[in-house]
Amino acid sequence: MSAALVLKLAPLTARRLDNFRANRRGFWSLWIFLALFVLSLFAELIANDKPLLIRHEGTFYAPVLFAYAETDFGGDFPTEADYRDPYLKKKIEADGWIVWPMVRYSFTTVDRNLPVPAPAPPSGEHWLGTDDQARDVVARLIYGFRVSVLFGLALTLLSSVVGVAAGAVQGYFGGKTDLIFQRFIEIWGGMPTLYLLIILASVVEPNFWWLLGLMLLFSWMALVGVVRAEFLRGRNFDYVRAARALGVSDVTIMSRHILPNAMVATLTFLPFILNSSITTLTALDFLGLGLPPGSASLGELLGQGKANLQAPWLGLTAFFVLAVMLSLLVFVGEGVRDAFDPRKARR
Amino acid sequence: MTEAPILEIEDLHVSFNRGEREVKAVQGANLVVRPGEIAALVGESGSGKSVTALSAMRLLPYPLAWHPKGSIRFKGEEILSAPEDRVRALRGDRMSMIFQEPLTSLNPLQGIGRQVAESVVLHRPVSAAAARERVVELFELVGLREQIARMDALPHEFSGGQQQRVMIAMALANTPDLLIADEPTTAVDVTIQAQILKLLQELQARLGMAVLFITHDLGIVRRIANRAYVMCQGRIVEEGVLPDVFRAPRHDYTRHLLASEPKGTPEPASASAPEIMACKNLKVWFPIKRGVIRRVVGHVKAVDGVTLSVREGHTLGIVGESGSGKSTLGRALLRLERSEGEVAFRGRAIEALRAKALRPLRREMQIVFQDPFGSLSPRLSVGQIVEEGLLVHGQGGDADARRQLIGQALTEVGLDPETQDRYPHEFSGGQRQRIAIARALVLKPKFVVLDEPTSALDVSVQAQIVELLRELQKKHRLAYLFISHDLRVVRAMAHEIAVLRQGRVVEHGPAADIFARPREPYTRALIAAAIELKADESGAVAM
Repeated sequence: MSAALVLKLAPLTARRLDNFRANRRGFWSLWIFLALFVLSLFAELIANDKPLLIRHEGTFYAPVLFAYAETDFGGDFPTEADYRDPYLKKKIEADGWIVWPMVRYSFTTVDRNLPVPAPAPPSGEHWLGTDDQARDVVARLIYGFRVSVLFGLALTLLSSVVGVAAGAVQGYFGGKTDLIFQRFIEIWGGMPTLYLLIILASVVEPNFWWLLGLMLLFSWMALVGVVRAEFLRGRNFDYVRAARALGVSDVTIMSRHILPNAMVATLTFLPFILNSSITTLTALDFLGLGLPPGSASLGELLGQGKANLQAPWLGLTAFFVLAVMLSLLVFVGEGVRDAFDPRKARR
Repeated sequence: MTEAPILEIEDLHVSFNRGEREVKAVQGANLVVRPGEIAALVGESGSGKSVTALSAMRLLPYPLAWHPKGSIRFKGEEILSAPEDRVRALRGDRMSMIFQEPLTSLNPLQGIGRQVAESVVLHRPVSAAAARERVVELFELVGLREQIARMDALPHEFSGGQQQRVMIAMALANTPDLLIADEPTTAVDVTIQAQILKLLQELQARLGMAVLFITHDLGIVRRIANRAYVMCQGRIVEEGVLPDVFRAPRHDYTRHLLASEPKGTPEPASASAPEIMACKNLKVWFPIKRGVIRRVVGHVKAVDGVTLSVREGHTLGIVGESGSGKSTLGRALLRLERSEGEVAFRGRAIEALRAKALRPLRREMQIVFQDPFGSLSPRLSVGQIVEEGLLVHGQGGDADARRQLIGQALTEVGLDPETQDRYPHEFSGGQRQRIAIARALVLKPKFVVLDEPTSALDVSVQAQIVELLRELQKKHRLAYLFISHDLRVVRAMAHEIAVLRQGRVVEHGPAADIFARPREPYTRALIAAAIELKADESGAVAM
């Protein structure tokens, strides 16, 4: 089935896939990145202060998925169970067992039993130590990585859609449309983005969606240039003229005949746009203008590293995770770029 | 015959690495060029003629290309195994080359004088002043006497013919013993072609050099060559002295080439057939804008007041040099270009119709373009390409019925109906042109604009396409507007001819009359250049 699909994908696409595979660094980077991303999607099962599974008095409980009251396990209060409470733990294990996630902390869990004042250095309990509010760094990393990548992907996708559409319209119709749009982009692009974000962040309470929307206002311009150029070139192709002579509508010509050409440039740019989206979110978080306080984020971790120079594990961890993630994406981007390069003759 | 040959190519093999495959481009070519002769290497695209010539200069992309076997001797000296320094010393000095596309062969950022001087200085330790003197000499030699004052101008400021002359001047800078000309006239107009051929012949006689002339055009071979080598699929299949070779060809392929030059005349058509497309005083003016506020300071008059009409079953040939407005006229008739003046399709005025109102009419008027590689969307299958028109006009019923129709259209243009699931790049130029014709025909149009449909094709394929177009015209009573600069093809196609020059019709009439008794000197010059490959001396055409 998949082989048949590849065959249908036209030989050009097949050759590009081959080229991408031949670039081993990019190919492996993609797989490593995807593996990390998929793992982080299941962050709740990896790092959580709730057990995955509990067997108590002959019944199974899944605290990760459902909320149970303490009284269910023979506790005293009808509130939600705190499984980290030694008293409750003992109660459960008296008749049953508990399966914990790999990391027994969520990104918000505060470890009140630290032997040293927070931030605590790496230890058997906290593999990468804790931050200055006694929260486990590993847990915060996993959640922070997920937020960063999801934010990056969402922003990349939306800004690509808007950017491609805007570029397509400008390039295809040209003339006055193009002129007006270009001048608008020049003015819009000249706005001090970060400054505007700071002002807007002080007006509204920023959350994931607000930030996404605000960033989208300025990030869609990245692709307009290349797509517009492709359309300017493409609208004079003979096969576009032929389609026009057939009476094909403008929208169909744009999407069916010219867009595939522009997709090469777009796809090549995507990993780099993803990269810059992630970096921007990190920067905002670092400055304290990003996600609401308490959320897990790489930028916030970097900020803590700066504030707590005596605890180098904070800064170093954030730095290495960011460096690895961004490098992987750049490698993937290079692989994609080479795969689309018609002059590149592999082997 | 006793003179030592300048260039001897013996059992030459050339292979290319394409991924893991080995592409054998040349497999055993033998040819000899003697001093003072013009040898022509004839063959269709892909026959390996350019590769053979480039091997002689060792200009192939080594190590991607390599020579499994063979030897090339230049004045007795082995080239293939010579050190790179030695070959570089020979190149541009003892042997030089002119290429097909003059504009891309010249550096766009340097004055032409400097570029010609460079080829002098590169091989001779001469002063700048002496080099300049030599450049002036060369300019006079190649007929650019009037351009000497413009020596510092950039290549794009010159016409195609002048650029090719500059290229020739560069090639002749050191009076080489061998000049290799790789289709030097393919990219220029017929009138310019005639001038360039004449110049090359004169220079050859004057300087006594040997010329290896690569071409696909048998007419050119007849006109200038002393000896011809016919190449087919990497082998030289026929050689001989002119004119005997073409009088008594021994190899099938040569016979095939000779037989495939466009000939014949169009089927006679009734003069009272209804008028399909007509225009009156049609004008396409492109504004020239200047200054900050883009004031319109003038117009490029691409089409300037053209009146003509095409009848059912008739072909109107539009002839002229490049830039004469032929293609623009064709597009304006199809309402693909904004224009002024009346355009009537089957008696109905269509010049003011909006895109939407025009769409139903689009079905009945179609266009086939020159470049079969650019006119098919590379990402759609042949079936999808042909199907598009049916979809737009809601014709052909369901998917199965459409498939049937597409198959019929492909069969009609001589392709296997099963090819509709394949992609354009799997087809040759001629086959692609057939696909483009099928795309136009599937809608059963009344009027088709053929915009140089044969000029990007090999000669033998040209004849087949002309044949196909004539057949289709007869069968469907199509009206053609046939745009071409190649009068040989036009003669085989057109009932009527309109000669276009600078956007105006300078001569218009039945094809037979125009060929037999051209009134205008411009028409005479065009015909002389295209049919007899003779340059015009009267000054009717620009240099």
